Amino acid sequence: MQPILKINLSTGICKSFEVPEAWVRDYIGGASLGARILYEYLTKDLDPFSPEAPLLFLGGPLTGTLGPAVGRFVVCGKSPATGLWGESNCGGFWGPELRFAGYDGLWITGNSDTASFISIIDGEVTIQTADHLWGLDTYEIQKRIKEEINQPKAKVLAIGPAGENKVLYSGLFCDHGRTAGRTGLGAVMGSKKLKAIAVRGAGKLLLAQPEAYNSFRSSANRFLRNDLVTQVVHELGTASITDYSDYLGIMPKKYYSQGIFSGSENISGSIISETILVGTSACHGCVIACGRVVDVGDGKHRKGPEYETLVSFGPNLLNKDVNSIVHLNELCDLHGLDTISTGNVIGLAYKMYEDGTISKADTGGLELVWGNTSSAKELIHLIAQRVGIGDIMADGARKFAKTFGVEEEAIQVNGLEVPYHDPRGASGMALVYATSPRGACHNKSDYFMVDWGQTNESIGIGYFSRQDGAEKAANVARHQDYRTIFDALVLCLFSNIPIEMIKDLINTATGLELSQEELILSGERSWNLKRCINIRMGLNKANDKLPQAFLKPLPDGGSAGYTIPFDEMLDAYYSAREWDKLTGIPNRDKLEKLGLKELVKEFYFTNPDD
Amino acid sequence: MNPIFPSPEWLNTLCEKLNRDKKYASIAARWEGDMCVVIEPSGNVKETIYYYLDLWHGKCRRAAILENPEEEKPVFVLTASYDNIAQIMKGKLDPMQAMLTRKLKVQGNMAIMMRNVPTVLDFVRCAREVTDEIL
Repeated sequence: MQPILKINLSTGICKSFEVPEAWVRDYIGGASLGARILYEYLTKDLDPFSPEAPLLFLGGPLTGTLGPAVGRFVVCGKSPATGLWGESNCGGFWGPELRFAGYDGLWITGNSDTASFISIIDGEVTIQTADHLWGLDTYEIQKRIKEEINQPKAKVLAIGPAGENKVLYSGLFCDHGRTAGRTGLGAVMGSKKLKAIAVRGAGKLLLAQPEAYNSFRSSANRFLRNDLVTQVVHELGTASITDYSDYLGIMPKKYYSQGIFSGSENISGSIISETILVGTSACHGCVIACGRVVDVGDGKHRKGPEYETLVSFGPNLLNKDVNSIVHLNELCDLHGLDTISTGNVIGLAYKMYEDGTISKADTGGLELVWGNTSSAKELIHLIAQRVGIGDIMADGARKFAKTFGVEEEAIQVNGLEVPYHDPRGASGMALVYATSPRGACHNKSDYFMVDWGQTNESIGIGYFSRQDGAEKAANVARHQDYRTIFDALVLCLFSNIPIEMIKDLINTATGLELSQEELILSGERSWNLKRCINIRMGLNKANDKLPQAFLKPLPDGGSAGYTIPFDEMLDAYYSAREWDKLTGIPNRDKLEKLGLKELVKEFYFTNPDD
Repeated sequence: MNPIFPSPEWLNTLCEKLNRDKKYASIAARWEGDMCVVIEPSGNVKETIYYYLDLWHGKCRRAAILENPEEEKPVFVLTASYDNIAQIMKGKLDPMQAMLTRKLKVQGNMAIMMRNVPTVLDFVRCAREVTDEIL
């Protein structure tokens, strides 16, 4: 693989880092390799906003090729939101361009004295002042930096005002609103006073077997183009699942407290496609093109909301006006905020207001009444600028609720706000949220799709009823390992191709000769490594839990009356994972089977060769 | 005696059931669109079968076996091998699972389809309830 560029913003020193071959074989790339690289640097005492805190950007071995939906990169570090492992991946064109510029990764440490931006143009690296650019939104900054460096085709990754103000759910943005939104790594970038990173390159990616790779990637793209999921997501966007998710009672309403909302039929990918959709957008080389381009009646083309955003600012707030969701989405993008967490924290504020926990005296006069989108709009401004109640809300749902003495009301796990797939309707998500290495996350395993029927029998991911319990625990673990391969590549979750094709693409791109089982094992190894990194940073079994609200049944809707048998599920999950049921640490035998000798030494204090 | 699936009698009985099933009438009240179910040869079925159903507002207006698939231009075409269809009919394969794992192909307007997944699932329920006599 190409080297990783290390930049220390405190000293301005740039170095090249060559990744050991064994690490590439064991972890492949992306977030998995990122965990291996950062393993020794992520400690409990590390302040995510300190100069020592790393911010590591990585592509995967397929990033930038013409493979099936392989235009993504990942950013890794210590999350200021969770205090645990942080990772967030992003589509668009920035990741491929970094590789074209000669680097497979970018490893940033140090803090700049004044605001700065990094420019990497065909291998030439410069760090320039950005004092005059500080405060710009995420779209304007891309435009201005391209002008300043006179590189109109450069790709710019940037933070907005929310990242500058270290909002704990601020993200990194590029292109047409493509986002690395989760775990607050935009705030880490803001703490380094790093406004943006521009990349441009004309390099050609070297593949181990280019002819074979081209043949495999053509087949894979053809397969993907003909896939039903691709066709649905292309036509309706990721919000294509909204209607069915609503019907099953999986789509949350009124901050996860209801299963029915009479306006929800107005909030869907189908409605968007039939009303305001004017086009689609795609990441690098992608045949799916899930991105929505909409016109809400003013003639301006805007990014349309995907599923999470649609629910976040729609049924979650009892709002049935799609156009208002488009505007709230755009506002979050401009400020550089993650829409999942932003909608979650705002939903919590509405609930606290309804319950009388907060009042107009706390909100600066805002009426936080369900369905009131003008208050939501104002809150987004206050959060991004950390003004008034927005300053407390900017620290996330957990801290916000705790400040007002209602910590259990926050729908979050380990400091990361829960996305919009209620585990009472898709019980596999209970384990996914509770055990994800980055807090409540729907992307480390989109198991709700398996609960719907997206099984993968060839790798042992079978079918269970959506409200089954402990019997599906091993299936969930297997799916997490499988999806961790996607995080290593970094492959879009919508790249719905057989694992045999994935294996062929990796092997012909890298020269590795991985078997299908070695590939899955790589995912499992990475999952356990991230688990151990988190344990070192303070996580224990008590962290593997659900928000209180999810332990009570929904009152109505398609999933009403079901109580998640969480304790039994977690117990079965630990057995499947071979994790100690008292400590939550992977068993010594498991670590040894995965080749994680360093971790055996760290956690079992004995010579691994014994 | 229940009709055997697949057969013309089965198709007619399905149409009758759809027209008298109250649950289906309620769930499919807004459904507008005809469909063709294409059963591809496998197992006990040696030739492709084309079942045409004109479904409208919770009722079945017409059911027919097409000799030539070009006879109609339905809004939706659902295609699967006979073995997979038989698994669905026996309740051994969930219809959503069949769609998501490429065992049941769907062509047509995806906006209508995704808005009406419950209708499709209830249609399958009715089809299953017509008979347990599978070829």
